[in-house]
Amino acid sequence: MKRSRTVFIAIVGIAIIIVGVALALRATGREKLLVVIPKGPIQVRILTALPVEPWVRQAAERFNQENHRLEGERIQVEIIATDGLTALGKYDRNEFGALDADTDPAQLSPEQQQALTRFPTAWIPDSRYLPELANTAYKERLGRDVFLTDGEYRARPVALSLSVWGIYQSRADVLDQTFGDINWQVVHDAATNKGGWPALGGDPDWGFFKLVVPDPRKNVGGLSAMIAAAGEYYDRPSISTADITNPAFQQWLGELLAATTDLSGASAYTAEDFALFGYSVGDGGLLLESDLLNNMQGIKNRWGEALSIRYPSYVTWFDFPMTIWIGPETSALQKNAALEFERYLLSADTQRQAISYGLRPVSAEISVTDSADSPFVQWADQGVAAIVPRTSAMRSPDRDVLQTLLRWFELNVAS
Amino acid sequence: MTKPSSGLSLRRVLIAVIAGIVLLCIACIGLLAVIGAYSNRSGPATEAPPVFDPQSATLTLAYSPEKAELIQELVNAFNQSKQRTSDRRTMSVQLLEMPPDQMVQAALNDEPGFQALSPDASLWLDLLDLQWAEEHRRDAEELAPRRIADSARYAVSPIVIAAWPEVAQSLAGTDQRIGWADLQARATSDPDFRWSHASTSYASGMLATLAEFYAGAGKTRGLTAADVTAQDTLDTVQALERSVSFYGDNEAVAMQLMSEKGRNFLDALVVQEALVVQHNLAGLDPLVAIYPREGTLWEDHPLALLDDPQVTDNQRRTFQALADFLRQPEQQALILARGFRPADLNIPIDGPDSPLTAANGVDAREPQTTLQMPGPSVVQVVQNVWVYTKRPSNVYLVVDTSGSMRGAKMENVRTALLSFIAQIQGAEDRLGMVEFSGYVTNIIPLQTITPEYRQTLRSEITALDARGDTALLDAVRAAYVRLQQENDSGRINAIVAMTDGLENASATSLRQLTNEIEQQNRTGVRVILFTIAYGEDADLDTLRTLAEASGGQLRTGDPETIRELYRLLSQYF
Repeated sequence: MKRSRTVFIAIVGIAIIIVGVALALRATGREKLLVVIPKGPIQVRILTALPVEPWVRQAAERFNQENHRLEGERIQVEIIATDGLTALGKYDRNEFGALDADTDPAQLSPEQQQALTRFPTAWIPDSRYLPELANTAYKERLGRDVFLTDGEYRARPVALSLSVWGIYQSRADVLDQTFGDINWQVVHDAATNKGGWPALGGDPDWGFFKLVVPDPRKNVGGLSAMIAAAGEYYDRPSISTADITNPAFQQWLGELLAATTDLSGASAYTAEDFALFGYSVGDGGLLLESDLLNNMQGIKNRWGEALSIRYPSYVTWFDFPMTIWIGPETSALQKNAALEFERYLLSADTQRQAISYGLRPVSAEISVTDSADSPFVQWADQGVAAIVPRTSAMRSPDRDVLQTLLRWFELNVAS
Repeated sequence: MTKPSSGLSLRRVLIAVIAGIVLLCIACIGLLAVIGAYSNRSGPATEAPPVFDPQSATLTLAYSPEKAELIQELVNAFNQSKQRTSDRRTMSVQLLEMPPDQMVQAALNDEPGFQALSPDASLWLDLLDLQWAEEHRRDAEELAPRRIADSARYAVSPIVIAAWPEVAQSLAGTDQRIGWADLQARATSDPDFRWSHASTSYASGMLATLAEFYAGAGKTRGLTAADVTAQDTLDTVQALERSVSFYGDNEAVAMQLMSEKGRNFLDALVVQEALVVQHNLAGLDPLVAIYPREGTLWEDHPLALLDDPQVTDNQRRTFQALADFLRQPEQQALILARGFRPADLNIPIDGPDSPLTAANGVDAREPQTTLQMPGPSVVQVVQNVWVYTKRPSNVYLVVDTSGSMRGAKMENVRTALLSFIAQIQGAEDRLGMVEFSGYVTNIIPLQTITPEYRQTLRSEITALDARGDTALLDAVRAAYVRLQQENDSGRINAIVAMTDGLENASATSLRQLTNEIEQQNRTGVRVILFTIAYGEDADLDTLRTLAEASGGQLRTGDPETIRELYRLLSQYF
C-alpha cells in the first residue's frame, strides 16, 4: 500500500512538472509565432516603375511558372508597383529599413530579421538618375553606393520610352488650323485663352483648353513634363536651379499648369485617367508614349476618336534601369536571382513582348514594326513613329533642380 | 502466503498507477481548459497589443455608401473565388462602410482599422496624402511621404443633376444646354423649386458646392481660397443654399427618397449618373441626367492600398488579386449592368448590352468637359466655409425617456445625442429638445447653438432619466406646433423623434396628428420628421406613418448603431 501510494504521488508530481513546463513553453512559444521567418523559394522583390509594371509583372508570372532555379532553389519574383519618385522618397527616409553601416546582420533579433524579408531586392525606376539620387542619400549615411553604376550588378536599362504629345484628334485639328505645329508655347497660348475653345475655333461644348500632365508628386512623368517645358522655354537641353527660380519662367509655367483640370483627382496612372475620363478632363497632354499606346484602342472605343501623337522638340527619355540593391539586407542568392530575372527581361522574347505594351526594346536589333499587331504599326496613321524624329534629349536633372521644381509645384499649383 | 500477497501488491500498484494516470489526464485537461478559458476571456479585455499575424491574407476594405450594393456583390464574388496566396492562405476581403471624409480621418491614424479604401472619388486620396505629408514630413527639402501605396480603378460615373424630364425641359436655355447657372437661377427665383445635394462629406456634395462657389466668384476655373472667402461669393452661395430642401447623409439615400416619393418631394438632385440609370432600370417614373454645361466631376471610386507597415505581404497580394478580379470581364460586365462605366475601356458602353442609353436618361458620350477641381487646400476651405453658408435649420430632438429605456439603452442614446449636437456646426442652426415619457416632461425651446447653449444641452442630455409610459404623439405634436409657430420658412425645419416602445399615453391620436402635419405642411412651414425606431419593440407602423405624412424618413437603430444613426441624421441639417 505504502509503495503504491508513493508511486501514485510520484506520478502526480511528474505530471504537474510536465504540465508546468508545457505551459511555460506554450507561453513563450506564442511570442515566437509572431516572428516566424517563412521558408521556401528565393524571394526576389522588385520595386517597379508604373509604366513598365504590366510588362514586368507578366514576365515575372511567366518566369515563376517556368520554375527557374539557382543553386537548386526555386526563384520566386514578386513585383511591387511603385512610382520612381515615391520609391526614391522611401529610400531617402529609409522606410525599407536598410541597416546602419556598423550593424551586423547576424546579430539581428528575429523581429528585425523578419522585417528584412520585405526588403526590396531590386528596383526598376523610370530613369537612371533616380538610383543616382538614392546613392547620394546613402553615401551620407553609409559611406558607399547602394546601387552600382558598373560591374555585374550595375543598373541596366530594360526598356525605353519617351514623353510625347497626345491630343484628341478633333482638338488637334483645331490647334493645327489656328496655330500650326503643336508645341509648349502653342499649348500655353491655348490654355491661357480667356475665350476657351470657341475663341480658338473649336466647339463651345469643349469649354476651356484642358491640359493633362501627370501629377509630379505621384508620377515621375510630371516632373519630366515640366523639365521638357523648361527646355523648350529656354531652348536648351540642360536646366539649372536658376532657370527654375526665374520669375518670368515661373509665371509662364504657372499659367500653363493652371489649365490642368483635376490634379486632386489624378492618380499615378495619368494616361489611364486620360483614357477613362476622355476629353472631359483633358484635350491633350504630354505623356509617356508607351502609356498612350497602351490606351489608344480604349480611348477610341470609349470616346469615339483616337489621339494624334506628336513628338516635341525637347524630349525626355525613360530607360527603366533594373538596379540591384548592394547591401547585407538581401542575400547573395537573392541578388543573383534578381540578376537571373534581369537576364530574362533582356532576352529577345521578353523584349519583343515589351513592344505590345507600347515600350521600345533596348536592343537595337529588335524593330518595333516587325509585327503587324505592334501598336507602332497600328497607330502609325495617328503620328506614332517607329524612329523618333530628330529631337533634343533633355539631360537628367540634378537633385536641386528636382526639389526646386517639386517645391514650386506644391506651393503654386497643387496647394 | 507470500506469493498471493506479492501478486496482490503488484495489482494494487498497477491499479494505483492506472488510476494516477487517469486522474492526471483529467486534471491536466481540466487545468488546460481553465487556463484556455481564462486566456480567451482575458485576451481582448487586457491591454495586450493585438496579435499581428504577419501572414494574414484578409484585407479590410473601407468603402463609401453610394456604391454599397455593387461593392458587396463584387466582394462576395471575390471571396467565393477562394483565391490563395503563394503560402496557401485563402485571400478574403472584409467590408467596412464609412463616409469618405471619415475614411480620410481614420487613415491618418496609425491604426485606421482597414488596409484598403474605396471612397467615392480620388479627391479624398489627395486630401489624405496632403494631410499625411503635413504631419509626417520632417523638412521642406524632403520628398513628401504618401499614405497611399497603390491604387486602381474598377468603375467610374460622372456626377449629374438628376431631374424629372419636364423640370429639365424648363431649365434648358435656348441652346438646350443646361448648366449650374440655370439650376442656381431657378432655385433662387422659384420658391417652389426643390433641389438637394449631399453634404461636402461626399464628392457629389462637394461638386455642387464648388459649382456654387465658382458661380459666386464669377469664375469657371482657377478658384482660390481668397475667392471662396470673399464676401460677395459667400452671399451668392448663401442665397443658393437657402433653396436646398435638405442635405442627405449620402446621395444613394436621397435618390431612394426621390424614387419613393416622386415629383412632389424634389425637382432635382445632384448624384452620380449610375443612380439615375438604376432608378430608370427599376421601371420607376423616369429621370434624366443633366451634364452641366460648365462641367462636372467624376466619381471614380478608386481602390487604394494604404502604405503602412502593418499591411502584410499577403494583404498586399489580396489587394492586387482584388484589383485584378474587379477588372475581369465578368465583373466589369456586372459593373456596367449596375449603371456604372467600367474601367475596362474594351467594354463598349454604347453597345447593345449597355444600360447607358437615352432611354435610361443618360448619354454615354457625355460629359464634354469637367469643372476644374481646385487644390486640396482650397477644397478644405470650401468644406469649412460651406458650414457657414448652408441653409440653416431649426431642429427639435424628441427623446423618449420612458421606463423601457433604462440601462444601456438610455446610456447609448445620451452618447448619440451628444454626438448629434457636436456635429451641428452651422453658425445659425437652432436646436431644441422635447423630452417625454407618459407625458411631455421637458421642453427646451429652439435656440441658436452658442458654446453656452451647447453646454446647457449637454447637461440636459446627461441628466436624462428613464421612467413612465410613452406619449410619443403628444411630444411630436409639441415640437411640430412650435416649429409652425416659428413660421421660419428660410430654414430647414425638422423633428428627429426617437422611441423604443409603443405609443400608450398621448391625448392626440395618430390620425389627428398626421392630418395636422399634412395640412400644415401644405399651408404653413414644411416640417420634415425623421423618426427613429430604437430596438425591436418600437412601434414601426406609427413611426412610419408620421415620417411619411411629412415627407421624412423612418430609420431603425439599436444600441450598437444609434450613435452612427444620429451622426448620419445630423448631416441633413
